[in-house]
Amino acid sequence: MVHQQQLRVSTRGRGTFDISRQVDEVIHDSGVKQGICQVFIHHTSASLILCENADPAVRTDLETFMKKIVPDGDSMFRHIDEGPDDMPAHVRTVLTQSSLSIPVDNGKDTLGTWQGIYLWEHRTHPHTRKITVTVMGE
Amino acid sequence: MVYQDTLQLADHGEGAYEITDLIADFIKESKIRVGTCQLFIHSSSASLLIGDTADEVTKNETAAFMAQLAPSSDNIDNKINASMDAVPEAMRYAVAQTSLSIPVSNGKPGIGVWQGIFLWEQSKHAAERKLTITVTGE
Repeated sequence: MVHQQQLRVSTRGRGTFDISRQVDEVIHDSGVKQGICQVFIHHTSASLILCENADPAVRTDLETFMKKIVPDGDSMFRHIDEGPDDMPAHVRTVLTQSSLSIPVDNGKDTLGTWQGIYLWEHRTHPHTRKITVTVMGE
Repeated sequence: MVYQDTLQLADHGEGAYEITDLIADFIKESKIRVGTCQLFIHSSSASLLIGDTADEVTKNETAAFMAQLAPSSDNIDNKINASMDAVPEAMRYAVAQTSLSIPVSNGKPGIGVWQGIFLWEQSKHAAERKLTITVTGE
């Protein structure tokens, strides 16, 4: 059985947005009890991560880490037509994930208690991001 | 339904090469309309990435960033070159992807308008690469 659905997520500019609940709703709608759920983001300047969800400071620290290794406005970048965050957003996407696969069991995602699925917006301005969730199994 | 094959990709030398068309053709051949497509590369110095196709500069600057993050030892010392070459490439490889999963929608790769799938050859000592493609769905 295959169930596929698209989500639109509005971001408020750079940062992480918890989409675990939306993904779990798609799994529920699919009727699949056991299988795999694939989450895919259709962009090259926003990405997906699985991250700890207990302490928001973890995600703030990840942001700080990324800023340090891929600084906005780095003089090595020429692809900056859309601003100093343009090329860094592409690099940050490549360093993280465009697609995630999660096991489905008992009609639910089997994320750990402290795991959350996050959309990571890498552009400083707000965007609407498209995500495809595909649930396969029986 | 599952459709799988392993393809040999020609040696292109160091750099990123778009293989989106090849994947699209394979999905078409599979006759699967909805599901997922998994790509897996059988190598430790070549990987897969989803990158921006709007501007060629993006691809080059991603490679330049990675080279800076884990500089190649190729030019350091000829005597240690052969064995040391593998170290930075292996580090870049660790932050890149060995396997990549995309949705299949309407019998096509369900990816964004500006997304392309690239084989990223990270070694100067490139070789033919084996890529296994698995399309699952109905």
